[in-house]
Amino acid sequence: METLNHILNGFAVSVMPINLWYTFLGVFLGTIIGVLPGIGPSAGIALLIPVTFGMNPTSALIMMCGIYYGTKYGGSTTAILIRTPGEAASVMTSIDGYEMAKKGRAGAALAVSAIGSFIAGTLGVIGLTLFAVPLSSMALKFGPAEYFTLMLFAMTAVSTLTGKSPAKGLLATLLGLMIATIGIDLQSGQARFTMGVPEFQDGVGFVVVVVGLFALAEVFRGLEDIYNGTGAKAMKITGKLWLTKEEWLRSIGPIWRGGVIGFIIGVLPGAGGTIASIMSYTTEKRLSKHPEEFGHGAIEGVAGPEAANNSDTAGAMVPLLTLGIPGGGATAVLMGAFIMYGIQPGPLLFQNRPDLVWGLINSMYIGNVMLLILNLPLIGIFVQLLKIPSGILYPLIIAISVIGAYAINGSMTDLYLILVFGVIGYVFDKVDIPVAPLVLSLVLGGMMEQSFRQAMTISGGNPKIFFGSAITITLVVMSVISILLPFILPMLKKYKEDGKDE
Amino acid sequence: MRYVPTASTASMATMMLVAARLINPQREKKKMTDRIIFVCILILTGVYFWATSKIPTLEIGDPLGPKAFPRLLGIGLLIAAAMLLAEMIKARKSASADVAPTEAPDRSTYKIVAGVVVATGIYFALFEPLGYAISTTLFLLVMTSYFHKGHMLTNVLTSVLYGFVSYYAFTKWLGVNLPRGILPF
Repeated sequence: METLNHILNGFAVSVMPINLWYTFLGVFLGTIIGVLPGIGPSAGIALLIPVTFGMNPTSALIMMCGIYYGTKYGGSTTAILIRTPGEAASVMTSIDGYEMAKKGRAGAALAVSAIGSFIAGTLGVIGLTLFAVPLSSMALKFGPAEYFTLMLFAMTAVSTLTGKSPAKGLLATLLGLMIATIGIDLQSGQARFTMGVPEFQDGVGFVVVVVGLFALAEVFRGLEDIYNGTGAKAMKITGKLWLTKEEWLRSIGPIWRGGVIGFIIGVLPGAGGTIASIMSYTTEKRLSKHPEEFGHGAIEGVAGPEAANNSDTAGAMVPLLTLGIPGGGATAVLMGAFIMYGIQPGPLLFQNRPDLVWGLINSMYIGNVMLLILNLPLIGIFVQLLKIPSGILYPLIIAISVIGAYAINGSMTDLYLILVFGVIGYVFDKVDIPVAPLVLSLVLGGMMEQSFRQAMTISGGNPKIFFGSAITITLVVMSVISILLPFILPMLKKYKEDGKDE
Repeated sequence: MRYVPTASTASMATMMLVAARLINPQREKKKMTDRIIFVCILILTGVYFWATSKIPTLEIGDPLGPKAFPRLLGIGLLIAAAMLLAEMIKARKSASADVAPTEAPDRSTYKIVAGVVVATGIYFALFEPLGYAISTTLFLLVMTSYFHKGHMLTNVLTSVLYGFVSYYAFTKWLGVNLPRGILPF
């Protein structure tokens, strides 16, 4: 009953004019960021943190979350019209969506992405509403040992599931944790790894790392593409922005299934929107009566993956809000934003600030309605953005990043750091080291060390505490499995195949 | 006092780009890259353990102290190195189906990125002396005239408008602190 009251109060918070305005601003910026190649949700949110400083945290967080789920809507537009995903998770849409556009059905492809995104996005928020209370009350019983092992599992899962090589994923995770150890140790007051730079005593700011790794590195890659002449031109929107009855009947199944797949993948750490949309695509291809159409403009191949990557964002909010542990790169950046506003996401937030949590969750219902309007009747306006020459767009992104990085502390060190991290991000991309695990572990690093030391203090220095309860044992076992899985799976497969040969 | 690591940062960034070029020769691209990453992890582990040992400790109240967690990370790095080694051995075993290099990396490509990095470094060096508006306008002019050739008017208009309008909007409306430099306002 109390919860129901909180939820209803949350609606009152989210329909306050100021919060409606920030919901709109968030999803509007999100659509723009999604449409524009070269800047994704992580960089977009990070750049806004310094600018929105001093705002009411509820409104600011409503806006940042709006950017996060708004990018998924915008990303499909670019995927359909230029075959480049505006956002990584739209990669599957660029296959059949672009083929549909080539056949003069761009309007239908855009319509099914927007409608599918809306249905699945709303489905995801309903799931978030239902799961939030039971999960957060369970998490209230977690002690430092449980939290440490939970973070361990989140990090190992992200390490092995993002990118091509688990070893490189683990390396990225450790680099993030190492960067997190730079600065004054809060428990002993000792400066660690500051290399004699006074600015490093406060640690390396996560906004700086995110802007460098996501915005600048992406700009370097984009400018390289311009130089190599591999830019693509946008197709015109052809056909009505609506579906025929047959197309509608073919899409509704994939939308529901994609929505469920996306939500489940979103709740679990590691996998994320890209894997959710790939899974939805392969599911639809397997279920389809005409799988040969996939890759040549099958509407199911647009509806399913787009639905999946939108309910994924709502699913990913579940562990972030209820446990205070993000399961991927973009939610890690959101968590960083929470912390910079002095708000610690997690189970206690549901008790202490129900207005904020439920105001935020309920704003997502409203945001999805706004996104449907922005991305269906008004999509033509956003398509105009694709006409901005990338030779102008990319230099502008550098200039915008500069404002974001400098505004935090007014420090030149931060500016030079975004350049260093920009180069690191560019080089890492070339050698297949994923950057999402680095950002996740950078955000969680401080908490992870703290819970590790608290647990060890409780146990008097005995590491047995990490095997002390059913929860910790399960999480440790799951962490070990997620590290070993990439090695075990091929072996099992080989064993099976060998068996068949005989 | 403000620490401005101009020269060292720029040279570090350039060195990293040179390294990226070296570890990306056309043939044996992947194998070579992984070997270099492997060596880099080992060096990093050594440096990190050494730096950890340099942290001064006062053993009061906290049984673990500030060194324990970093030591754990060092061990983690060794595990990552071992995993990479295992992956390299596995890749060698199945090397028969050698992955064809998807794109032959062109040397001039790296030169262009190095050029952008140097230009951005110069922009940052001029950021406080000249002020945000002027240094940003100059930077945009240089970049757009190279990457958006032949559209002089558009480039000049965008650069000047963005430089000054964003300066005004951010400092006056949003209260963001940006360096004024040589401008009187």
